[in-house]
Amino acid sequence: MKTRMKELRARYDLTQEDLAKKIGVRRETILFIEKGKYNPSLKLAHDIAKALQTTIDNLFIFEDDGR
Amino acid sequence: MKDIKGILLGIGIAAAVLVTLSFYVLNAGNIELEEFFLIGIVIILVVSAMYIIWDRIKNVNKGLPAQDERLKLTNYKACSYGFIASIWSAVGAPLISGILFDHDLEGHYVTAIVVMCGGIAFFISYLYLAWKGD
Repeated sequence: MKTRMKELRARYDLTQEDLAKKIGVRRETILFIEKGKYNPSLKLAHDIAKALQTTIDNLFIFEDDGR
Repeated sequence: MKDIKGILLGIGIAAAVLVTLSFYVLNAGNIELEEFFLIGIVIILVVSAMYIIWDRIKNVNKGLPAQDERLKLTNYKACSYGFIASIWSAVGAPLISGILFDHDLEGHYVTAIVVMCGGIAFFISYLYLAWKGD
């Protein structure tokens, strides 16, 4: 799964820490999601999308992994 | 508030372990090599616990939560690895001791090995997963 979080964060001039504070998670969580090392829960994905004024579909790019 | 309570509890437990350890060292007289080894492992476990507590304090001071969903998941995974390590060490320690050293381990040694293996597996996997991700 890829994400456009970094791009959208830059658009709103938000640092990882700013976004983390906005949605109430640790900064490392934002970092790992951006790197694709952690798949957030639906609730967290919704919160991030809301904070970045977008939709989950627009924020995360799901790739078919053959399952 | 819940975060601060957890941090204070962690500091309290670490301090209690260190006080107990220092009483033991002060009253033990001559400490043998294997005891140095055991004391070293206890100190490593306490230092690792203090690192986790320090990391949480750092986040709370910045206005971030001490724990979030990713860290909870990391915690669960590390706990399960620690549990598996405990079970295998309970089975493996007496076997290895018997096969390699032809020596039957006493019950308290097996208990100590199980606690240490579980604790070390927990901390190593926790720190690895927290730093490197899943």
